[in-house]
Amino acid sequence: MPTLIVDGKEISVQPGATIMDAARLLGIYIPHFCYHPQLSLAGNCRMCLVEVEKMPKPVISCAMPVSEGMVVKTDSAMVRQSRKAVMEFLLINHPLDCPVCDQGGECTLQDLAMKYGPDRARYHEFKRHAQDFDLGPLVETEMQRCIHCTRCIRFSDEITGMEEMGAVFRGDHMQVGPYIAKPLLSELSGNLPEVCPVGALNNKPFHFQARGWELKKSEAICAHCGVGCHLRIDHLDGQIRRVQARSCGAINQVWLCDKGRFAYDGLHRERLEHPMVRSEESHSLQEATWAAALDRTAELLKKFKPEEVAGLASEENQGAEELFAFQDFMRRVVGTPHLDHRLRQRDFSGDEQPLTRADLLMNTPLEAMPQADLILLIGADPRFEAPLLNLRLRQATQAGARAFAIHPRLLNANLLNLTQSVVGPGDEVAWLEALLREVTTPGGGESPQRELAAAWRQAKRPLLLLGEYAVNHPQAESIRRLAVALLESVGAIGASWNGFNRLVSRGSAAAAQDMGVVPHRGPGYQRLEQRGRHAQHILQGAAKGEIRVLFLLGCDPGLQGVDTLLGRTALSKAYVIYLGSHQTPAAEGADVVLPGLAMAERQATLTNVEGRAQRSDLAVMGPLQAKEDWRVLRALSDRFSQPLPYNSREALRAAMAKADHRYGLDELEAGELTVACDHSPVTVGLPVAGQGGGASGGEGLRLVLESPFYQDDAVSRRSTILGQLTQGRSVGLGVLRLNPQDAAQYKIQAGQKVRLLRDARSVECRVALDGNVPRGVLLGDAGYAPALMQDLCDWDGGFPQVSLVGL
Amino acid sequence: MTKIVFKNIHRENSHTLAVYRANGGYQTLEKALSMPGDDIIDEVKRSGIRGRGGAGFPAGLKWSFIPKDDRAKYLVCNADEGEPGTCKDRDIIRYDPHLLIEGMIIAGHAVKAERGYIYIRGEFVREAEVLQAAVEEAYAAGLLGGSVMGRGVRFDLAVHRGAGAYVCGEETGLLESLEGKKGQPRLKPPFPANIGLYGGPTVVNNVETLASVPDIIANGGAWYAKLGVEKSSGTKLFSVSGHVNKPGNFEVELGIPLKVLLEEYAGGVRGGWERLKGVIPGGSSSPILPKAVCDTVTMDYDAIGRAGSMLGSGAVIVIDQSVCIVRAIARLSRFYRHESCGQCSPCREGTGWLSQMMTRMEQGKGVPGDIELLQSVADNIQGKTICALGDAAALPVVGAIRAFREEFEYHITHGRCMVA
Repeated sequence: MPTLIVDGKEISVQPGATIMDAARLLGIYIPHFCYHPQLSLAGNCRMCLVEVEKMPKPVISCAMPVSEGMVVKTDSAMVRQSRKAVMEFLLINHPLDCPVCDQGGECTLQDLAMKYGPDRARYHEFKRHAQDFDLGPLVETEMQRCIHCTRCIRFSDEITGMEEMGAVFRGDHMQVGPYIAKPLLSELSGNLPEVCPVGALNNKPFHFQARGWELKKSEAICAHCGVGCHLRIDHLDGQIRRVQARSCGAINQVWLCDKGRFAYDGLHRERLEHPMVRSEESHSLQEATWAAALDRTAELLKKFKPEEVAGLASEENQGAEELFAFQDFMRRVVGTPHLDHRLRQRDFSGDEQPLTRADLLMNTPLEAMPQADLILLIGADPRFEAPLLNLRLRQATQAGARAFAIHPRLLNANLLNLTQSVVGPGDEVAWLEALLREVTTPGGGESPQRELAAAWRQAKRPLLLLGEYAVNHPQAESIRRLAVALLESVGAIGASWNGFNRLVSRGSAAAAQDMGVVPHRGPGYQRLEQRGRHAQHILQGAAKGEIRVLFLLGCDPGLQGVDTLLGRTALSKAYVIYLGSHQTPAAEGADVVLPGLAMAERQATLTNVEGRAQRSDLAVMGPLQAKEDWRVLRALSDRFSQPLPYNSREALRAAMAKADHRYGLDELEAGELTVACDHSPVTVGLPVAGQGGGASGGEGLRLVLESPFYQDDAVSRRSTILGQLTQGRSVGLGVLRLNPQDAAQYKIQAGQKVRLLRDARSVECRVALDGNVPRGVLLGDAGYAPALMQDLCDWDGGFPQVSLVGL
Repeated sequence: MTKIVFKNIHRENSHTLAVYRANGGYQTLEKALSMPGDDIIDEVKRSGIRGRGGAGFPAGLKWSFIPKDDRAKYLVCNADEGEPGTCKDRDIIRYDPHLLIEGMIIAGHAVKAERGYIYIRGEFVREAEVLQAAVEEAYAAGLLGGSVMGRGVRFDLAVHRGAGAYVCGEETGLLESLEGKKGQPRLKPPFPANIGLYGGPTVVNNVETLASVPDIIANGGAWYAKLGVEKSSGTKLFSVSGHVNKPGNFEVELGIPLKVLLEEYAGGVRGGWERLKGVIPGGSSSPILPKAVCDTVTMDYDAIGRAGSMLGSGAVIVIDQSVCIVRAIARLSRFYRHESCGQCSPCREGTGWLSQMMTRMEQGKGVPGDIELLQSVADNIQGKTICALGDAAALPVVGAIRAFREEFEYHITHGRCMVA
């Protein structure tokens, strides 16, 4: 380890470290603009020049590797003069518009100009003019302020892989901008304003909204997908103005995806503001007091036998507190075993197995993912299910890992070295069985699996990811077992490396598993003697009149889930109690509506895809009458013989910790993840015997549904910022994607309205052509009204064959 | 006088392989191929030849920096002769391309590079054609390719044309451009000798340097070291331009008095030596030398350095009394503003600032304090940039103010040139 002296202080650093690194360790700040710890070195701003003894010229500390015996001065006359010079150069063409600049108050250039800049201008020549660009709804440009540090260019090349930013022309005509003036398409483009050290790239929705120093700042965890990114909510006057990334090396590094950053403006829209009770006379929902609403709720719940009551919880927008209290309330207070959160899941045969947490969540820590040497995506599109996870996978491929993907369509991925196999919907199990055979007993000849199998056998640290499509597949359990078997065949499930990763991409899904919001397990993965109905059977029971009361925690089975037609039938037959934050048809048709809070309005524990429980703080207030959901349940339980035993959040959290030690304060603060390897045995039949999945074949078009990334939960769906983002792209609500050749065959044009028919069910939607979709497959958004394509599906029908009629 | 790089250029069809071979061409290569690479490097070190591109770095030392590992190594010839005033490499390529090719094969053998590139300036259209034809001739004759002269040594050579950017004559800017990227110099360290073209160890040499190699190997380093003067051995091409009666490229031994070069070789200063105002001795980046210095200075690296300038690429630009120095420097500053790659702050912003001030002054709009400001801006650029272009833009301004301050002052006070 080389030892050097910086400003008279001696320090030993790792070989290859730079002077900047050494100074950092000593707590010495060296001013800089172009240096960014997550990006490659550019060394172009020249602000970090320092003096090194025996070197004739000042050197840039960000790029100069240390050597033994180096003597560095960061505050000598030469250094001060250099900084002054560089500062002046950066300022001569920079406008003095700090008072109207969004970056004002939190600008590196402004801060360093105060310290090193001249107090008057010596430059009296012409200022150059820079061109602005329309980069879409997220990023506003003011390129006159650009100091050409190229951070945005390096970000877009290295992090997003989209190469959307560049610099054209030379010298002082150099112009940073998009190569071709078009909106940014990256799912990470909201990071550009944060990467920019000046006010050249601005957060467009925040443009002119507030000054940085007026904002109150709350530290929260993102709930819009399962990654659990650390973010900071900047708010003013009870309104969220902006969301910024907080750095967290273990999870999001310093980035956020656009959904997490810009969904916030949906928070205040269409809220449930008062408790409401359906009037017996007018049959309409009337505002009520909390006491009346709770009385009516208790009355409904007591009116029927406990087993005629069922609870369904949302897998998004819920803290572990709510989920724990909900299952506690349903099981202990009401006394019903019917409880689930898995409205999107088709295959419940895993419930028969003693599945462990390692079977249900991810086992490779995000931080360790870049070490993977082979990546296999099965039914996963991580870029649009968990963008910050995808970034880790991309880092692995940048380091040389190969990637393979098995999916019913081609992925629009930014992984390097990616080989994609399009496997028809329903053919996955057979494909994976063939792969497993090829891995264990390599056969001769050409098979589609051969290349992957050869790479798989050689992999030291393979990483397998089951994505949303695989998790919600009709044969999900078979796929899971094959995945585990594949990993075990190369010894990749062990104490030092576990490559099995099941991505539960919804923000609260991991917590719902941990807290036992499932019919067969209690909190902390304890097996239950009495197993209740799962989501499918709850809805089917309600439709048949066996379930009389549905208690919904923030979810709407008429909008979400495998079969929304069944969901709506169930809602119309049963009494419905709706506890949640946002308006939804289920709430409109409910018998009692209890207004709850949303994320960012409550202190909550969120569990991410790795199983890391994290505390999120509140930022803003919800509607005046709305209450924290668990407090509603607690108050409601007073009307029963056995009320919930916790009166404070601390007591609730203590109960959670008792049920699952991972939620104890010590565990939360340690924040360390251990590699899990306690998988349940998978020798019990590969695949699940007799599991029908509706394999492909036959004529006609098969419907596959995906979640629309930017609009897939209650808050993001209401965000106008994200709404603008999906305009003009072939994603978004109610869009059906179709192979251009199929479209030609059915004489359908892009943008045309079509009707999808299956038996008596039909849905109208609009068509976008997409060459990534194979022939014979219709790719729909599992979105929301008006085109609810889940109406065409049912739990046992696999991927339905539909017919297509142009309108 | 001894001729090395210009020994063949007077011959009819000197650019052809037949003529080159008829005059002893490629005989040195045969000798070199039987020598171990390190012996060749030692011989070049012994010769004391310094890089002829401008920086004057000892070539043998540069070669010896190439690590002895098993990575693929590259030899790149810098034929992007862009320094204003310089046109020497063009003549070598035009009249004796095989001398360069022979030198490159020897150099490639010395540093174990199996692949060479000649990065030739985009404007050199005819020269690129001549060079390409010569490379093809050499391939056909078995002098290039999988087994050079049947001796089992591989050396492939490709000619790559640049697109005209001055900064691509900077070795790392050249490598970027050669790799197909925007021509912007790289951060150093790492130096090309360790991480250069496509990440491999790379030697980048000027055309004239490489063209001198065959004679050094043929006659020995000691022979070469005897030419010229101490620390500036060998012969050097000078491109004499400007106000002389017979401008042209001249190969002379280093250490020749500037006055002799101009009076005896270049036909004398227009209107007589007394009409001389100053000389830019090493291309546009080097500070101008006033006549008093020119009277006595000798043309070698150290003497020119002591006189406050640089030998650079050997482009001698002669300026007589008819020239307004302010106008000349304003033109130069415009060149550097235009050619700055725009990557690093001091050069991007500073060259524009300098140029605008010089233009303003030239137009008679200078104000008191401008000279000091010019000097201060030039100081602020110098030594703070990624590559030497910043220094190259600053030095002529500083040098001109030092030598001809009264002309600048006259421009500010009178609003017009001091010369009629």
